[in-house]
Amino acid sequence: MSKTAQEAFDNLTHTVGQTQVENAKMRTENVNVFYGEKQAIYDVNLDIGNNEVIAMIGPSGCGKSTFLRCLNRMNDTIPSCKVTGSMTLDGEDLYGADLDPVLLRARVGMVFQKPNPFAKSIYDNVAYGPRIHGLSANRAELDDIVVDSLKKAGLFDEVKDRLDAPGTSLSGGQQQRLCIARSIAVSPEVILMDEPCSALDPIATARIEELIDELRNNYAIAIVTHSMQQAARVSQRTAYFHLGKLVEVADTNTVFTNPQHELTENYITGRFG
Amino acid sequence: MSNVTQSKADVESKERPETTSLVRRSLKKRYAAEKRFRAYGIFAIAASLGFLVILLTSIISKGWPAFTQTFVKLDVELSVDTLGVSESPTLNELRGANYGGAIKKTMRDLFPDASSRRDKKALYALISTGAEYELFDRVSENPELLGTTLSLWVPADDELGAIVKDGEDLSNPDSIVTRMSDQQIAWGKQLQDNGQLDVRFNTTFFENGDSREPELAGIRAALMGSAFTLLITFCLSFPIAVAAAIYLEEFAPQNRWTDIVEVNINNLAAVPSIVFGLLGLAVFINFFHLPRSAPLVGGIVLSLMTLPTIIISSRAALKAVPPSIREAARGLGASDLQVVTHHVLPLAMPGILTGTIIGLAQALGETAPLLMIGMVAFIVDIPQTVTDAATVLPVQVYLWADSPERAFVEKTSAAIMVLLAFLVVMNAVAVLLRKRFERRW
Amino acid sequence: MDKLHLDQHISHQFNKELEDIRNKVLKMGGLVEQQVTDGLTALLEADADLADVVAHKDFEINQLEVEIDEECTHVLARRQPAASDLRLMVTVIKVITDLERIGDEAEKLGRFTRDLTALSSELPSYRKELRHLGELVKSMLHDSLDAFARMDVDAALRIAQRDEDVNREYETLERLLATHLVEDPRQVSKLFKITWCARALERVGDHSVNICEYVVYLVKGKDIRHTSFDQIKSEFMNQ
Repeated sequence: MSKTAQEAFDNLTHTVGQTQVENAKMRTENVNVFYGEKQAIYDVNLDIGNNEVIAMIGPSGCGKSTFLRCLNRMNDTIPSCKVTGSMTLDGEDLYGADLDPVLLRARVGMVFQKPNPFAKSIYDNVAYGPRIHGLSANRAELDDIVVDSLKKAGLFDEVKDRLDAPGTSLSGGQQQRLCIARSIAVSPEVILMDEPCSALDPIATARIEELIDELRNNYAIAIVTHSMQQAARVSQRTAYFHLGKLVEVADTNTVFTNPQHELTENYITGRFG
Repeated sequence: MSNVTQSKADVESKERPETTSLVRRSLKKRYAAEKRFRAYGIFAIAASLGFLVILLTSIISKGWPAFTQTFVKLDVELSVDTLGVSESPTLNELRGANYGGAIKKTMRDLFPDASSRRDKKALYALISTGAEYELFDRVSENPELLGTTLSLWVPADDELGAIVKDGEDLSNPDSIVTRMSDQQIAWGKQLQDNGQLDVRFNTTFFENGDSREPELAGIRAALMGSAFTLLITFCLSFPIAVAAAIYLEEFAPQNRWTDIVEVNINNLAAVPSIVFGLLGLAVFINFFHLPRSAPLVGGIVLSLMTLPTIIISSRAALKAVPPSIREAARGLGASDLQVVTHHVLPLAMPGILTGTIIGLAQALGETAPLLMIGMVAFIVDIPQTVTDAATVLPVQVYLWADSPERAFVEKTSAAIMVLLAFLVVMNAVAVLLRKRFERRW
Repeated sequence: MDKLHLDQHISHQFNKELEDIRNKVLKMGGLVEQQVTDGLTALLEADADLADVVAHKDFEINQLEVEIDEECTHVLARRQPAASDLRLMVTVIKVITDLERIGDEAEKLGRFTRDLTALSSELPSYRKELRHLGELVKSMLHDSLDAFARMDVDAALRIAQRDEDVNREYETLERLLATHLVEDPRQVSKLFKITWCARALERVGDHSVNICEYVVYLVKGKDIRHTSFDQIKSEFMNQ
């Protein structure tokens, strides 16, 4: 990092750009995250709007994944992790008493970096969420949910003849779409994606990106990605994280053509440290 | 050729030729090292295979004869007088009847030349004492046989049996190394010539308990004892160990207490097994007054011994389940227990089963702790429940190995074969189970 | 856009963006064509009102140029187009620049016509030559836009050749005007305006040639600017 960039970072007290949106699905205010003594996130304010894809980019270790995982309390399993500040889903406090993490995760689904289908059949992979939450009254209803989810994930035509085949027998891209179908099956309101394409080839990536674009009509989507190009392609808004701080957030066109903060410019143009 | 490349490369750059030649020089060495290492590996495998073959051939060749037995055909005259019973005897009367006398009489009639006391004794010794029981069984089953002449095959004595089984030439007594007298061998020859000797499959070995008489001694009691003991061991150690492993791996907080527990479990795995025997004696027999020599106590003691093994391997298996599966399930809103029972445990099951089988195989071969709780015993009756007095296969092997009779040598090897077969069956079951679990991907 | 399969991306959004840009370029082309036609009509018919309209209508074209430019920038920033997509972006950015220039020439045509009609209300002299030049240029512009829309390399190359005719026509007119000026210096301002108009029309022809060259670049990936025609011919037309 050049000296001026370092200064710019040190002087960064407020996020550049509009952190709040009108139709916010999730709202976070002054979020700080600590792993033991170490602080991973500093005073982040960020909204995730309805029917939008918000991309979080930034160099490794900038806290974007940590922030994402806080949004459905996946960090609860790490005992040393502590979250302060306010995070709400439709105005309900995520870390409050009346929103159980199990319920929260049913409402805020997550897709992970590595496609991780269960060691079960394609059908059972998708049916798993509805089964444990009791979302279907009988087998026919469950069938409907599975087929519908697979269709939404753009996978149905490829697997309709082999729903009994193991989920792990699919190709990487198909597995990831299966994982997305699995998330959709629980009918969440928000879908969080943690580098969903980093293990996929460009064609599979393009398919997933197209899928994300379609899903935007029904869900609020937050995606963490290492690939700026991917952020540019799929998102409506882009947030740039740097060393735990949210540096800039703006609509994607602006961020990628005329970023306001020096650090964002440096990162996007490949001038980073 | 190398000169050409070098000079050409020299023009291009100074560094390259040096690297190339250095690498080329070391290449031969590296490949040689690899070749050597492979040779070592092949040698090691060949050596261990060789030892295994030697062991197995020695055991099988020695133990093979134990699966056959020599029988003598006798026509026993079941006269009321010889047996010393009334015309229509009660069961009690039959039980007390003099079957030995009847058999001795038959032998005397067969070989009238044995007249002296010593000769007669030697003559009677050709037939196993088990013949009397055989006779009793037949008569008590069918009392109408009284007064008739019954023709039946009875086991020969172990010495005669061994000689006949080995196919040695009875007409040439000098070539035979035995405790038998030449006279006895001549009688045996006569029996053989009369077609009264036959070698058959040894069902006794699989049906009887232990006996002082080698031809009557069987493995059944020890086999059942081992089966009962292992059943208890499995039923106790498997659920406890798996539950402990799951708790420690998935739920327990990381603090000083769990560290202590972990260290202690690892230490337990290294404790000499006889210590567990002492513990079993002190706690289960002296304090809880559980029956001595019973598979129940043996099983409990062996499960104490097996627990750490299964816990450690189960934890390793659980740890090997990719965390991404846990995250995926949790991300869908599965509770911690659902994550474990639906996803982690099925994936870890093959590993857990492997650990369990290793633990049980260890338990199967264990004698030391059983020593302390009285399972090293001379057990004639076949145990029917887990509280009956019993012994186990390795103990039986040990006991027979200690006996001097020629027939017990083969019995020892045969018992080892049975023990190995038991192990193979157990492993096969485990492999089948594992396949079943693995088929679920 | 059939030849380059621009509508076959996995991302529908990307297809839509490209389609949108292409449509806007064609719309801009239509507007420009209309301006040139109107400018020419105004000149030939000495229609002051129409000339006024042409002189003031250029802002619509300029606005479209800015819009398309911005959209292209966004596509470049967000889609990282490659190969044919990249050539399309480069081509579009260049084509709209030329279109905008043609728009400017049309505007000039309007302004000079207005000035001419202010001098005298009669029809301009050299009307026949002007119409001839104008029709040539108009058809060139129309055809080059058509070639762009259909990505027709052969047509583009043929159109480019027609610039020679335009130049010849222009030079003839220029000579006539020069002779006239020597004979009758009092007409200087009027003759100059006519010269400017002819010049503007000739420029439209040049820009049309540029568009044709971009079409060849877009489809074949070869830059044929500043290359002799014989060379081009040997490379493309005999295929």
